[in-house]
Amino acid sequence: MLEKTVYIRLRNRVLVRPRERIYIKDIAQIIANEALHEKIDQLQLYQISDQDRNIIIIDAMQVIAEIAKLDSTIQVQLLGPSQTIVEVVFKKKKYSFTLFVLAWLLLFFGSMLTIMNFHEDVSMQAVHQRIYRIITGKSVEKPLFFQIPYSIGLGLGMIIFFNHVFKKRLNEEPSPLEVEMFNYQQDLDQYVIMHENKESISKINDH
Amino acid sequence: MSLCMKIRKVYRKLMIIKIIFTIFIGFSGGLSVGAGYVAFLTVLGIIPRLTQLTKTMKMIQMYEWGVVLGAVVGTLVMFQDIHLHISPYVLILFGLLGGSFVGMMTAALTEVLNVWPILAKRIGVDDKIVILLMALVFGKIFGSLFHWIYFVDQ
Repeated sequence: MLEKTVYIRLRNRVLVRPRERIYIKDIAQIIANEALHEKIDQLQLYQISDQDRNIIIIDAMQVIAEIAKLDSTIQVQLLGPSQTIVEVVFKKKKYSFTLFVLAWLLLFFGSMLTIMNFHEDVSMQAVHQRIYRIITGKSVEKPLFFQIPYSIGLGLGMIIFFNHVFKKRLNEEPSPLEVEMFNYQQDLDQYVIMHENKESISKINDH
Repeated sequence: MSLCMKIRKVYRKLMIIKIIFTIFIGFSGGLSVGAGYVAFLTVLGIIPRLTQLTKTMKMIQMYEWGVVLGAVVGTLVMFQDIHLHISPYVLILFGLLGGSFVGMMTAALTEVLNVWPILAKRIGVDDKIVILLMALVFGKIFGSLFHWIYFVDQ
């Protein structure tokens, strides 16, 4: 009995080239005895055609059905995710440099304008003049002694929050930004798993 | 005579009610503003972030007291119009710390709005996101300096 058991763990996300054949070994880690392992490795699951869009979901049920076709006495133990997202990469992703510069300038001037609006909105100039008078007892029109360190601190605070000093990290923990990126990718994956997988949604049959 | 006394008594009572009512309004106003301030800070998650960076999770209660005392002292100083007559160089440290706090708040705010992952995905620069981040940081510094040095005179 034991040598007929196959342990399978599907990978979360797999990148393939167009018109490639997808075998079980591409999308899963397999533990089985050697003879069985070799046979299962050769099983073809899917042939990517030109009609396919760039995301294909392969469900665990498909994998199990394929193995059962080979030998129905094999016991399949599935571990981990119950589907794999196969992403067809048509050509190597290239970003355009001009677009990047444009986005950079957009962020730069955008953040410049928003901080100025914020200062005006909360009357920060008046507050700074007041603080200057409280501390030194003198009234000045432009308390730059306070305002220039404030401006530098503003940038410093943002860097501290994102845990980055020009690619060098302050400590080894992931920054909130990286966690945020990860969460976003997870949400996207969850969405395509539900929407691209025909097995996961059953429709009512209207006559 | 007794009528005059009575009127005075009633008047005094009214005064007391007026004072108590004013205290009550001030107190409830302060309560709601304080609660709102703390709620806002909690949503932004600056304090947990700081404890994470400095590895001082156990001192979180002290940080809470720091925020509360800071708010109370700031309010008192603003209302009393106190003058301390210290050298203006103290303001350099004060400004740096205050600016850092505002910077962390703005950073946390863009975080809440979920701008970054979407932007990075759209233009396909997942690995260059730090440079984009620096655009925001330099924009803030430059904008702030521009505002204080040039813009306020216009």
